[in-house]
Amino acid sequence: MATTIAGVEKEKLVGKRLRRREDPRLITGTATYVDDIHLEDMQYAAIVRSPHAAARILSIEIAAAQNSPGVIAVFTGKDTEKVGGVPCGASLPGLRVPHHNVLAVGRVYFVGHPVAVVVAKDRYMAQDAADLVEVNYEPLPAVADPEKALAPGAAPVHPEWPDNVAFTFHQDGGDVDKAFAEADVVVKQRITSQRLIPMAMETRGVVAEWHGADRQLNLYTSTQIPHLVRTLVATMLGLDENRVRVITPEVGGGFGSKLNVYAEEALMGWIAQKIQKPVKWIETRRENFLCTIHGRGHVDYYELAAKRDGTILGIKLKIIQDVGAYHQLLTPAIPTLSVLMMPGIYKTQNIRADIVGAFTNCMPTDAYRGAGRPEATHGIERMVDILADELQIDPAEIRLKNFVANDQFPFHTATGLMYDSGNYAAPLKKALDLVDYGKLRQEQADARKQGKWIGIGISTYGEICAIGPSPATPAGGWESATVKIEPSGKVTIMTGACPHGQGEETTFAQIAADELGISVDDVLVVRGDTSIVQYGIGTFGSRGTAIGGTAVYFALQDLKEKIKKFGAVLLESDDVTFSGGNVVCNKTGQSKSLPEVAASAYRAMKLPPNTEPGLVSTRFWEPPNFTFPFGTHIVVSEIDGQTGEVKIRRYVAVDDCGNRINPLIIDGQVHGGIAQGIGQALWEQAVYDDNGQLLSGELTDYAVPRAHMMPWIESEHTTTPSPVNPLGVKGVGEAGTIGCSPAVVNSVVDALSPLGVRHIDMPLTPEKIWHILSKGA
Amino acid sequence: MKISGSHMLAVPPERAYQMMQDPDILARAVPGCEALEKTDENEYRMKMKMVLASLSGVFDGKIRIADLNPPSSFRLIVEGSGRPGFIKGDGLLHLAANANGGTEVSYHGDVQVGGTIAAVGQRLLDGTAKILIRKFFERLAACAN
Amino acid sequence: MVPQKFEYAAPDSLKSVLQLLDAGAKPLAGGMSLIPMMKLRLAAPEQLVDLQKVKELSYIRESGNAIHIGAMTTHYEVETFPVLLRKCPLLAETAAEIGDLQVRNRGTIGGSVAHADPSADYPAALQALEAKLVLIGAQKERTVSAAEFFVDAFTTVLEPGEIVREVIVPAEELGTGTRYEKVVQPASGFAIVGVAVRVRRSAGKISFVRVGITGLSNHSYRATSAEATLAGTTGAAADVQNAAALVAEGIDANSDLHASANYRKHLASVHAARAITTAISRAS
Ligand SMILES: Cc1cc2nc3c(=O)[nH]c(=O)nc-3n(C[C@H](O)[C@H](O)[C@H](O)COP(=O)(O)OP(=O)(O)OC[C@H]3O[C@@H](n4cnc5c(N)ncnc54)[C@H](O)[C@@H]3O)c2cc1C
Repeated sequence: MATTIAGVEKEKLVGKRLRRREDPRLITGTATYVDDIHLEDMQYAAIVRSPHAAARILSIEIAAAQNSPGVIAVFTGKDTEKVGGVPCGASLPGLRVPHHNVLAVGRVYFVGHPVAVVVAKDRYMAQDAADLVEVNYEPLPAVADPEKALAPGAAPVHPEWPDNVAFTFHQDGGDVDKAFAEADVVVKQRITSQRLIPMAMETRGVVAEWHGADRQLNLYTSTQIPHLVRTLVATMLGLDENRVRVITPEVGGGFGSKLNVYAEEALMGWIAQKIQKPVKWIETRRENFLCTIHGRGHVDYYELAAKRDGTILGIKLKIIQDVGAYHQLLTPAIPTLSVLMMPGIYKTQNIRADIVGAFTNCMPTDAYRGAGRPEATHGIERMVDILADELQIDPAEIRLKNFVANDQFPFHTATGLMYDSGNYAAPLKKALDLVDYGKLRQEQADARKQGKWIGIGISTYGEICAIGPSPATPAGGWESATVKIEPSGKVTIMTGACPHGQGEETTFAQIAADELGISVDDVLVVRGDTSIVQYGIGTFGSRGTAIGGTAVYFALQDLKEKIKKFGAVLLESDDVTFSGGNVVCNKTGQSKSLPEVAASAYRAMKLPPNTEPGLVSTRFWEPPNFTFPFGTHIVVSEIDGQTGEVKIRRYVAVDDCGNRINPLIIDGQVHGGIAQGIGQALWEQAVYDDNGQLLSGELTDYAVPRAHMMPWIESEHTTTPSPVNPLGVKGVGEAGTIGCSPAVVNSVVDALSPLGVRHIDMPLTPEKIWHILSKGA
Repeated sequence: MKISGSHMLAVPPERAYQMMQDPDILARAVPGCEALEKTDENEYRMKMKMVLASLSGVFDGKIRIADLNPPSSFRLIVEGSGRPGFIKGDGLLHLAANANGGTEVSYHGDVQVGGTIAAVGQRLLDGTAKILIRKFFERLAACAN
Repeated sequence: MVPQKFEYAAPDSLKSVLQLLDAGAKPLAGGMSLIPMMKLRLAAPEQLVDLQKVKELSYIRESGNAIHIGAMTTHYEVETFPVLLRKCPLLAETAAEIGDLQVRNRGTIGGSVAHADPSADYPAALQALEAKLVLIGAQKERTVSAAEFFVDAFTTVLEPGEIVREVIVPAEELGTGTRYEKVVQPASGFAIVGVAVRVRRSAGKISFVRVGITGLSNHSYRATSAEATLAGTTGAAADVQNAAALVAEGIDANSDLHASANYRKHLASVHAARAITTAISRAS
């Protein structure tokens, strides 16, 4: 693990728990977010939004707003009709894509639908004037529940598609009919994965600045995908892509909600052109609840066929996906990820999946941490527990029996994936040892005798990371990196991945420091400006390090070769090696440091044969496959028998994300992921009433977990490198969320199993559990 | 949200029924009602100012009475909209004579709210509806005297 | 979320405050309830008078067997003030349950009671303590009991131009056992149900008991039938259960996303039993 430089060992940084280099600016409050951007003569936009989920717009009175102090413009849907529609980047055969105007035209489809925009000298004046815009609505019947939307006679969300079907999708793998015919048992369950609000701490925000003479638009936006925003906003506004510059300053959380192109991004770009002044819009928390994508929103019907010994023979799954009123960037693609993941890490080769996407008068759903995989993992991990209960087999044992075996990798799944590598029993066994499973079951039995409700929940998850090979990813699934070694020997990495809190400013520097034998302090990671960074895809689907990091790695390999060539010239020898930050002549032992070599590469007094000056390499790396991390989470929970309240007594997470570049950052990702998983399992839910009003529309009613609500997380790991990339890494950004919710729910169902309980839908609110307890007693 | 309940009035059903169709009495009884005018047979327009501690909002409202079945039942539809959002209540009121010559008015119906009040006020809806309905009947009772 | 335009004054004397109030200004204390509503534009006062600089409203004073707490005393001060910890631990324990540290550092007892949120914590304790509230306006000062003060959701007996000047709680007699139990609403941190209990024992019997309830309905109240049932018993488990079963009797409980009326009532009984049991164990 160490290289020798003239007798001195330089320790490898990859694998070290380095503190995040991005943190000092974040915790001292000196980072720059969109709202920190102030431009000369900048105006403020306030958006008037529909209070109705479905209504015809009869008239919009804007005169009072126009005459309000400080107002320079008021626009409605009529003005912006020529702006291109908000794009859907995913495609499926037969997909119905309603045209999605940036401001509503004639009709509104969900509460929060933008209807008009007021631009004024400051935020207060803009809001005062927005309050004066009078919109005359004729309310129409709305539908807010996906199953109700699909029922006959439901109010149509889009009149052109009265059945409210947004898309359907079918996939068959193996011979599922045979599997079910041969089964000893079939267990069935309806399982929901409720709508959630991603709740980034920083809401969205846009500043747009138009340089008319140059036909240049600068767009500052809080996004996970600056280049895709540039391409798509340029298209929506009919601008040249190379004259749109998207700058993504610090991003205060995205979790998928900023993996999108939103109406407001194009709208602000359009307004800046109209008013010939910069304009800022910062989303309020209320707007964030209503108008930034939601996650999940599944109703799943599962059937699992098995032999009496617990061998799973086949799985049938029908997904009803709550689409919302429109497709945002990836809306229809998300449930297809659930289908890909539906067998979990079990070897069954027979599956059948059907998805129906249902339009509802709600905010569109899209990618939220895990995007499709938490739903699938929740489903299969719940079903395996239900099967174990049916067959009276221990839940750990039934899992071990069905795991893909170590010698089966690479493993072709019934859904068409190829699992890269795995050792599924290892984290399970480690987690069982950590909780002392045998003893724990005994304690549970004793506790039950004393009338206590203790449950043990196991979730053995697998997931898809490094999304993904281009054929499987809308807009391409590669990633880019440019590595520049400056004349001083300092290293600048420009990553197309646009990390925004995942810690790659640190991990990429660790990789570069090791490859070049230098200090991390000599490495700068630059991201988030389309005029500086080459085209990139972005950060989502746990792809940043596995794909973006690999692009960095290959660019570094190019540079190492070039460094050797320039070093050879300086040392006047062909027999050189580059190690520990020096080019060393193998014969004489003489060496040249990286700064010396870099200076010569730019000074270019004498060039190596067929070599250009400079030390810059750009790589676009196309991954040959996804990566497939896995792990086991075990939860021990206790239920208050009088109130139904669930307390998590222990949380053990053993995650395998391949090679580990920075375990500290991995722990952070796991902890954050679990927080969001527990949030879904116990507390969070976006509740729309029958009329499409979002009732949990503020933080007073939407329960995001706070630090003090979290259990202590015992985090451990196993390491199974991925063969897909040279770093051997898999990804860990979403693992915590994916593995978590079934572990929590399995533990609570296990606790209540003496009452014959087999399933409870999330969130496991105390009242829900209390009802179960009162019925049981 | 479903609502239901009952209140007593010290007048017989015929009188109670009549009072609840009388614009002047309604104007006095509807909490926060600042102006009420008849726009059509059984239809009224009103301006309501709702004040609940520091919360306040002005609503433009409409009251409509339907399914008239004097003196035992009628349907009351109240709609209001203002900056904080909108409210719509639709309820059936039953009037029955009680032993002391008074009237028991029982109601059940549905309240819908939208806009900011729906999202930030959901936990207050139940309590607020109860307050408003109680105030309405208290004032109505006062008018009866 | 930006408020509408308003005037702002921050005088340092109570007299100036009262004058401004008389002219229609709205008092601003910690701002923890008022400011969010102004930002949502659900409240739009034209003039605010900030009480922050009025020293005459910020104190905790013991006088005889009562403790006087100025309206501008923060939750954190109530939670940590030595005299309260010793002589009115119920109020300190209740204050410690409010929101989070930031909220407790800014929010005030006067603001909390004046706001009269049906889910606020203090009202349960103030009912159980049979606290008195001193209200002052430009013309007059008056004292009302907690039971009179809380009228309905967000509704108190405060008249326009009048503010809460201080809250008076008893200095507990030696041997009084007290407890505040709360079911936390996971999103807001407010009480789904809160139960405050005070008990005293003499000769093996419960000689004194007060039970205050918040969160259940539109306003806090004293559960007098539960008190009557417990008083005179030995405070055995069955006595506690019998009393606790009555705390929600006859109450028109509210429902919301987090708890139905029935569940709220159930929680009130369960937590009343727990609070009474702890209070008894603390009584000597
Ligand atoms: C995140 C959060 C969590 C919270 N959690 C809880 C909780 O768990 N339990 C709980 O009980 N509370 C909770 N609160 C509310 C908190 O306790 C507030 O501090 C309190 O309700 C209001 O006090 P204030 O001093 O901030 O008053 P302000 O917000 O300044 O004022 C509130 C109202 O009272 C009026 N007012 C203020 N002072 C006086 C006075 N002396 N006389 C007359 N009128 C006055 C104001 O005009 C206004 O109408 C929470 C608040 C927040 C923001």
